[in-house]
Amino acid sequence: MAEDGARRVVVTGLGAVSSLGTGAAAFTAAIRAGRTGIAPIRSFDPSGFPHVMAGEVADFAPERLVRRLDVTQWGRSSLFAASAARLAVRDAGLDPAVLAAARSGSAVGTTSGESAVIEQLTGQWVDKGLEDLDPALVRQVPASQISTAVNRELGLTGEAQTIATACSASNYALGYAFDMVRSGEADYMIGGGADSVNRWAHAGFYRLGALAKEVCRPFDAHRSGILTAEGGVALLLEPLDRALARGARIYAEILGYGVNCDALHPVAPDPGRIAECIRLAHRNAGIAPSDVDYICAHGTGTPTNDATEITAIREVFGDRLPPISSIKSMIGHTMGAASGFGALACCMALADGFLPPTATVVEVDPALGPGVDCVPGTARPARPRIAQNHGFAFGGNNAIVILRRMP
Amino acid sequence: MTATTAVTVPAGSRALPRPAVEPLVITGGDVVSPAGIGFAALAGALRTGLGDPPGDAPFEDRPPIPLRPVPDLPVAAHLGSKRVNHLDRTTQLALVACHRALAGLDVPLDEADRTRTGVVLGTSTGSIRSSSEFSRETLVQDRPYLVRANLFPNSVMNCCTGQVAIWNQLRGVNATIAGGRLSGLNAVRYARNAIRQGHVDRVLVGGVEELCPQSAWGWHVTGALPPGAALGEACAVFMVERPAAAGAGGRTPRAELLACEVGTGVAPSATLAGCVARAVRRSGVTAGEIRTVSFGAVGGLGRLEERGVRVALGGLPARRVRVAEVVGETFSAGVAMQLAALLADPGTGGAALITSIGPDGNAGCLVVRPAAG
Repeated sequence: MAEDGARRVVVTGLGAVSSLGTGAAAFTAAIRAGRTGIAPIRSFDPSGFPHVMAGEVADFAPERLVRRLDVTQWGRSSLFAASAARLAVRDAGLDPAVLAAARSGSAVGTTSGESAVIEQLTGQWVDKGLEDLDPALVRQVPASQISTAVNRELGLTGEAQTIATACSASNYALGYAFDMVRSGEADYMIGGGADSVNRWAHAGFYRLGALAKEVCRPFDAHRSGILTAEGGVALLLEPLDRALARGARIYAEILGYGVNCDALHPVAPDPGRIAECIRLAHRNAGIAPSDVDYICAHGTGTPTNDATEITAIREVFGDRLPPISSIKSMIGHTMGAASGFGALACCMALADGFLPPTATVVEVDPALGPGVDCVPGTARPARPRIAQNHGFAFGGNNAIVILRRMP
Repeated sequence: MTATTAVTVPAGSRALPRPAVEPLVITGGDVVSPAGIGFAALAGALRTGLGDPPGDAPFEDRPPIPLRPVPDLPVAAHLGSKRVNHLDRTTQLALVACHRALAGLDVPLDEADRTRTGVVLGTSTGSIRSSSEFSRETLVQDRPYLVRANLFPNSVMNCCTGQVAIWNQLRGVNATIAGGRLSGLNAVRYARNAIRQGHVDRVLVGGVEELCPQSAWGWHVTGALPPGAALGEACAVFMVERPAAAGAGGRTPRAELLACEVGTGVAPSATLAGCVARAVRRSGVTAGEIRTVSFGAVGGLGRLEERGVRVALGGLPARRVRVAEVVGETFSAGVAMQLAALLADPGTGGAALITSIGPDGNAGCLVVRPAAG
C-alpha cells in the first residue's frame, strides 16, 4: 500500500502514436474493432528477410504533432515520445502553461532507444567508415534524449527519466511517475514509452525463431511468434484532488505496481518470478487476486511467453482466471512502449466499459489449460473495475501496474 | 515558452517546499577505472595522475584523441568463471565492479537479502558497440538475418543490469537508466524512490561506460570533447540502503547520500543553480558546510557548471575535484566516478556536492556527507 499521507494518483490524459492511428480515440476505436496495424515493412529495406511484416507508424509526421521541437534535431523514438506527450496534455484539457509552471517531469521507457538513428550511423560506418559518421546524428543517439524531448516539447523543468528496461520499460516508467506524484515529488508526470522498428531487432527475433511471418496470434494453438512494432505512448498523471478541482476527465486511478527480476536467464522468462511480481503488484496496490477483472497480457505471441504467463497467473489466481487478452495481436510488439500501450488500453477499457480483444486468436491453445478467456475477435462490452497490466522483458525485468475505474 | 504572461496557479497546486530527504547510507561499493581496479588505485591516480602511459585502447580503429582504457581486466579471474567471453565490455566492467562490491561488504548478503536487493545502473545506450556490430551484420552478411542469436541480448540496453542480477542472484527491482552524463544522478533518484516506497531494501546503484570505436569516433566527429581531453571508460557502483537496514545487517556506513535533484532547461547553468539550492535545502545543510565540490564536465560545459555552483552557494567550495581530468570523460559513468573519487579520497571531511551538466540542457547534483560517527 501507499505510504501514509500519500496522494491518490489518476490518469487524466492519453496520447498515442501507433500503427493503429494517432491519438487515444483512433487507437481505441481500432482496438475495439480488432483491427490490425501490421503491414509490409517500409522503414528499412526488408529484402532478403523471409519475414517482412511489422507494425510501423506509417506516414509519421511529427511536425504536425509537436509545437516546439525542431523535428530535424531529434531521433524517431524521441519524436514518438514527444508527440504522444503533446497529445496526452491536449487530451487532458490542461493549460500547457500551467503544466510547465508546475513541478512536472517525465519518465519514458524504451528498449533500444534511438535504434533507427543507430542504424543510420551503422550504414555510414559500413559505407564510409566510422570517421565519416554524421555528427548531427551522433548527438541524437543517447536514449536520454527520449525523455528530454518530452520535457523540451512541453517546457517541463523537472526530471527527465529514460528507463531502458527493455520490453517492460513503460510499466517501470509509469510506476516511477506514479511514485513521484504520489509522494509529492512532482505535481504532474508524463509516463509512457517509445521505440522504433529496426533491422537488428527484426533479425534478432527471426534468428531466435520468435518472429511470426504475417500474424501475431497470442494464446492460439497455431501461434508462431511476435511481430516487431513501434510507436510512442504517454499518460498524464496528476493527484486526484487536483484533477477533481479542475474538473478533469479521469480515465483511471493507478493503485500501485510491482517490479522484480528473474535473475535467472537473459531471455527465458520464469513463471515463479512472474507470479511473485503479480503478488508484489497486488500488495503495493492493496488488492486481492479476486479484485482483478481483466489482465492486459504481455502476450507476445511466442509459445514460451504464453505458457509462462498463464502458468504464473494460475499460480496466483488458481483456477478462476480473469479474462486475459493481448493487444499485441493488433499492434505487434512495440517493445519499450508495449506496456504503455497496454496501460492506455486498460484506461480506456475501465473508462468506457469494454475488454480489449485478442483479435487474431482462432483456436485457444488447449495446452494452456482450462478457463483461458482471451477475448477473441473484437472488444467485449463489460464493466471491469480493476485491470492488471503486464510487462516482461529480456533481462528478467518484470513490471506490473494495477489500475482502477473511477466510480 | 508559448506563454509569457503570468501563469495563474490553480487551487490545490500551491507548491509547498519539498521536504527534507531521508538520508541513505553507502555501505559498500567498488570501482573499475583507467586507474585500475578498486578505490585505492583511483585515490593514487587522483594524487599523482595515471602515472605510466595509459595502456593501448582495446581496439585499433581509433580517432586521434587520447583514450584512457581500463588496464588489464582479467574478467574470468575476478568472477571465478570462464563463461564471460560472450559478454560485452559494458557488462564485463559492471560484473567486475559489482562482484567486488558484494564481496567487500562487511556482512555478505544472504538469500533473503538478495530477493530484496535491486540493481540500478546508468548507461545511455547500453553497449553501443554491441548494438552497432549486431546491426552491421544485417548489412554485411549474405543474408540480413545471418546474425548470431546468442549476441542479440547484448544489443539490448538492459543486458548489463540483467546480467549483474543473474550473476549475483539479485532479484529486486532491476533498472537500466539512460541519463547521458546525468545517468548516475537519475539512477540515485530511481534507487532512492525504490527503497522509500518499499520495493526493495537496498540497491546496488552506479553507472557504466565502455570505450569502443563507435563511441570514440562519435565523440571525435561531434567535437564534444575539449581539445586535449581524454575519453575514458569505467564502472562504479555503491550499495545504498537505509541507515536502520545497514545497522540491522551489520554493515558500517561509509557515507551518507543526501538530496539528489535534477532538472531540464535551456539555460543549464541556471538549471544547475536551482538544483543545488534545492538540494542543499533538502539535505538540511548550509552552503557553508559544503567543503568539496566534485565537478563532472570539462571545457566549456565545465565553466557553466562552475557558474551554477557559484551562484547557488555564493562561491565555490575550497576543495574542487575533477576526476574526469584524471580518468577521462566517462559519460554515463561520470557521476558514479565523481562519487567514487570522493570515497577514494574524502579529503578533510564536511559535506560534498557532486554536480553534473549535460550538453542536452539537463543538470543536477547530489549532496553526500561522511558517515556520522
